[in-house]
Amino acid sequence: MTKIILSKIVVIFMILVLSNWIYTRWFFEADLQEHAEIINLVLAIPADSDILYLGESSNNTFRGDDMDKRPISAFLGDFYPDLKINDITQHAAHAGIYKVLLNHIPTTNKARTIVVTLNLRSFNAQWIYSDLETALQKSLVLLKPYPPLFNRFLLSFKAYDIKTEKERQEQYRRKWRQDIFRLPFDFPFKNVSEWDAYIWKNGFTNPDGTPNDELKELVCHYIKAYAFQIDTLTNPRIKDFDEIVALAQDRNWNIVFNLLAENTEKAQEIVGDELIFMMNENAKLLEEYYSKKGVVVVNNLNAVGDDEFIDQHWTTEHYAENGRKTIARELAESLKIWHGNLYHEVALETKFKTSFFNDCDNNIPWGQTHTISTEKAFSGSKSSRIGAGEAYSITMEYPLKKIPDSLKHSLHVELLFYQKATVSEALLVVEALGDDFENYWVGFPLNDSVSEVNNWAKFEKSLVIPEHIKSANVIKVYVYNPSKHILYVDDFRITLNPF
Amino acid sequence: MLFNSLSFVIFLPIVVVLYFLLPQKYRWILLLAASYFFYMSWNVAYVGLIVASTLIDYYMGVLMERRQDKKSRRPFLIVSLCANLGLLFFFKYFNFAAENLNLLFGNDASNSIPVMNLLLPVGISFYTFQTLSYSIDVYFGRQKAERHLGYFALYVSFFPQLVAGPIERFSRLAPQLKEFHSFSYANLSNGLRLILYGLFVKMVIADNLSMYVDQIYAEPSAYPRLDILNGIFFYSFQIYSDFYGYSLIAIGSAQLMGIQLMDNFKTPYLARNIAEFWQRWHISLSTWFRDYLYYPLGGNRVKKIKWILNIIVVFVVSGIWHGANWTFVIWGALFGLMYLLENAVNNLFGLQKINRSNTLKHLVFAFKTFVFVSLIWVFFRSQSLEEALHIFSLLWKETDEISQALAIPMHVWVLLFLFVLSDLFLYNKRFDTTLQKFPWVLRWSVYAILIFCIIVFAGVAHLPFIYFQF
Repeated sequence: MTKIILSKIVVIFMILVLSNWIYTRWFFEADLQEHAEIINLVLAIPADSDILYLGESSNNTFRGDDMDKRPISAFLGDFYPDLKINDITQHAAHAGIYKVLLNHIPTTNKARTIVVTLNLRSFNAQWIYSDLETALQKSLVLLKPYPPLFNRFLLSFKAYDIKTEKERQEQYRRKWRQDIFRLPFDFPFKNVSEWDAYIWKNGFTNPDGTPNDELKELVCHYIKAYAFQIDTLTNPRIKDFDEIVALAQDRNWNIVFNLLAENTEKAQEIVGDELIFMMNENAKLLEEYYSKKGVVVVNNLNAVGDDEFIDQHWTTEHYAENGRKTIARELAESLKIWHGNLYHEVALETKFKTSFFNDCDNNIPWGQTHTISTEKAFSGSKSSRIGAGEAYSITMEYPLKKIPDSLKHSLHVELLFYQKATVSEALLVVEALGDDFENYWVGFPLNDSVSEVNNWAKFEKSLVIPEHIKSANVIKVYVYNPSKHILYVDDFRITLNPF
Repeated sequence: MLFNSLSFVIFLPIVVVLYFLLPQKYRWILLLAASYFFYMSWNVAYVGLIVASTLIDYYMGVLMERRQDKKSRRPFLIVSLCANLGLLFFFKYFNFAAENLNLLFGNDASNSIPVMNLLLPVGISFYTFQTLSYSIDVYFGRQKAERHLGYFALYVSFFPQLVAGPIERFSRLAPQLKEFHSFSYANLSNGLRLILYGLFVKMVIADNLSMYVDQIYAEPSAYPRLDILNGIFFYSFQIYSDFYGYSLIAIGSAQLMGIQLMDNFKTPYLARNIAEFWQRWHISLSTWFRDYLYYPLGGNRVKKIKWILNIIVVFVVSGIWHGANWTFVIWGALFGLMYLLENAVNNLFGLQKINRSNTLKHLVFAFKTFVFVSLIWVFFRSQSLEEALHIFSLLWKETDEISQALAIPMHVWVLLFLFVLSDLFLYNKRFDTTLQKFPWVLRWSVYAILIFCIIVFAGVAHLPFIYFQF
C-alpha cells in the first residue's frame, strides 16, 4: 500500500509541476494585474534609475492652493538634476509593503540609492492592526518568493491575514490596554486607554473655559496615534525595516530612512509635553537603532510647522508645498555623502504660472489622476476616462489669488474629447473657491459647438474672469460627465490671459 | 476555520494521521478536542453554548431513560426542548421578534423591547436540531440514552458536520464514532475525491458566481433585465454549489476516518417537481422536518384541509429555521404553495405518471422546476421583501437608471457549463464511487483538471459558506 500511495504522490507532484508551467505561461501575468496590481509600481521604474524613493501618500499629496504640486521625490530631483530619481508611491504603505516591493526590483536596475519613508505613526497599534491590512496583505500574496502556482494556491486558500474590522479594532484596543508607559517622570495614566478615556470623559476646554468637543476628539486622536513606546524586539515594523536593511546590504544599495515630520507643534499645543517626549524618544530610538546598522536616518520629526500640515483635524502626514520642500531639502543634504559632487543648491522658489497643460502621459500632479486610462489617447497613450459613475475628469487646480490681476483678465480652455454617442450632459466646468465670495461655478456643454462621435473633437472656450473671483484661493477647471456614457478627455490646456 | 482555508488544509491531515496512530480508546478524545478547537477558531466564547447544550441533553436523556412511561419522561423532554429552542430563539430570533412586536404595538423608544447586539453563533441551528432529534428519540423510546458523556459530546460537535450539517441522527453517527476504523485505502481515496470535488464546487463555481450575484443585488436598478435574470439564475447555482461543496467536503473529511455521513444533495436541479426537489436538496434537514414535524402533525394521513395546513406549516417553519427575516417566511410559504399547486395540477392531469425513461420530458420538467426554484430563491437572497419585489418589478419593467452591465468572462461560463454537465452525469450517482470506476488515465485527468481549476480559477474574495449564517 505504501508503494501505491508513494506512486500517487509522485503523479500528483508531476501534475503540479506541469500545472505550474501552464499557469506561469498563460495565467500568471493576468492574475498579477488583477490581484497584485501593486507590482506595476515596480515594473514602471526605469532600469536606469539612480535613486528610488519609496513613499506613501505623504509623498504626493497636494492642496489646491499649492502653486507647485509636485511630490517630495520631484523636489528632491531639483537638487540633483543629473540623477534619475523615480518614486514608488502607494497609499497607506508601510515597511511590510516596501520590503516586498524592494524584493521585486530587478537586479538589472541600476539604482544605487534607496530612500524609504519611515513613518513614526506606522509603528502605532492602530496602523499595525489597521483594517486596510487585509487588502494590502492580499495584494502581496502573488509576490511571495515561491513558484507562481504555489502563490496562487495561497491566494485561493486565503493564506493571508484576514480579519474583520471588528477583530482589528479588538486587536489594537487590546494593545492600548496592554502596553504600559515606562516614563522617567510621574504620569497619571498607565496606558493609552486610560489617557484617552480620561480626556474623553473630562473633555477639552477652550481658554475661556467653554467645552470644545471638536478639539477633544483631536486630542484623543493624537494620543492614540503617538502615545506609544517602540519595543525593538516586538514591534513588527522593526522586523520589516530590519529586513529592508538586510536586503539593501545584499543588493549593495545605499539606504536612507526618511523619518517623516509629524505635527509636533499641534501635539505640543493641544496635548502637551508628555506626548512630545514620547514622539521624540521614539524618533531618537529609530535614528540610533538604524544608524548603528549603517542606515542614514534623516530625522524630520520636527521639521515642518503646523501651518504646513494640510489636515488640521487629523494626524496624517500630508504636507503643503513648503512642507514637502523642507523634507526634500533635508533629504538632499543627506544624500551628499554619496552624490555630493552632483548636488546643486537651489532655492526651490515657486513662480506663478499662467499656462497649464496635461496630456495625461507625464504624471502631472493634477486632481483626479485616477481617471487616467490607456483605453484611448489623442496624443501619447493615455487620456482621462469619465462617465458611468466617475463624473470628474483630471482637474487643474491653482491659487488664482497668487497671479497678479493684470495677467488674469480672461481664461482660455482647449481640450480634445472622444465620445461614442453624444453626451449632452458633459460640461466644461470652471469653479472657484474663496473666503470672500460664494463658491463660483459655471458650466459649458461640450457638445454645443461640436458634436462629433467616434472621433476626437476639439473644444475651445474663452471666459472673462469675473472680478469678484480674482481673489480665489483655488480655481478648478475640469470636465464633468454625470451620464452613464463614457467620454475621454486629452490634451487639456488652460491659459490665463491679460486681455 | 473554513474548509477552503489553508488552516483546514493543515488541520485535517494532522487530525486524520493522529486518529489512526492513536489506540481506539483515545480516539474520541482526539476528535472531541479537534472539534472544539475547530469550533473555537470562530469564536472561543460560544463553545460554552455547545457545552451547555451537550450537558443538558445528555442528562435529560439519561433521566428520561430511567422513567418507564412517557408521562414521567415529559418534563425532561420539555427541559431539553426549552433549552435548545431557547438558545436558538435568543440568539437567532429575539431581535426579529422584538422588532416586529415593537412595530405591531407601535412602541416608541421609551417603551420598546430592546434590540440586542448579538453575534449568531456559527452552526447553532444545526447542532441544536441534532441534539433535539436525540432527545425526542429517547423520549419516544426509539433511542437508548448515551451513557458516555464524551461520545455524546462528540456526537454533538463532530467537526466535519458541526457548523452546517449534514444533521445526523444519533442512531447513525454515534455507533460509527465508537466503532474501530482501521486505515482503509478505499476510504482515503473516496474521501479525498469528495473533498477535491467539494473544493472545486465551492471555490471555483460558487465563489466566482457570487461576485456577479452581489453586483446585481447591490444595485439591481443599474442593470438591464437580462443581467438581472443572469443574477437570479447565478444565485441558484451559487447557493447550490456553495452548500453542496461544503457537504461534499464534510462527508469526505469524515470518510477519511471511515465515518460515513449521510448524503445531503442528490442533483436537486434535476428534480421534476418541488416535492422531488426537497427529496434531493438539503436532505438531512428535509428528513428532519419530515420525521419530527410533518409526521407528528399527522403527515398525509389526515383530512385534506389539515394536510394542506401541515404542508404550509412545515415549509414556513423550514423558512424560519433558515433565518429571522420575513423573506425566509415568504420563501418557505412559496415553496409550500408551489408544492400544493403542483400536487393539484399533477393529480388533475395525471402528470405524476410521467414515463421515467423519457429523458426529454424529464429535462423539460426539471427546467420548469429550476425556474420556479430560482425565482423563489430571490426572497432567500434579498435582505428585505421590498428588495425582492423590486427585483421582480425590474424583470417586468426596466428603469431608466441603467448604467452598468455585467462583464462575465468566458471562463466563468465554461466552468459553469462543466458543472452543469457533471451534475447531469452524476444524476442519482455519487462522485467518488462513479470516478472510481473510470479508467485510471481518465480518472487522473479529472484530478489534474480539478486541482488546476481549484488553484487557478478559485474566487479570491473571502467568502464563508452561505449556510454558516444559519
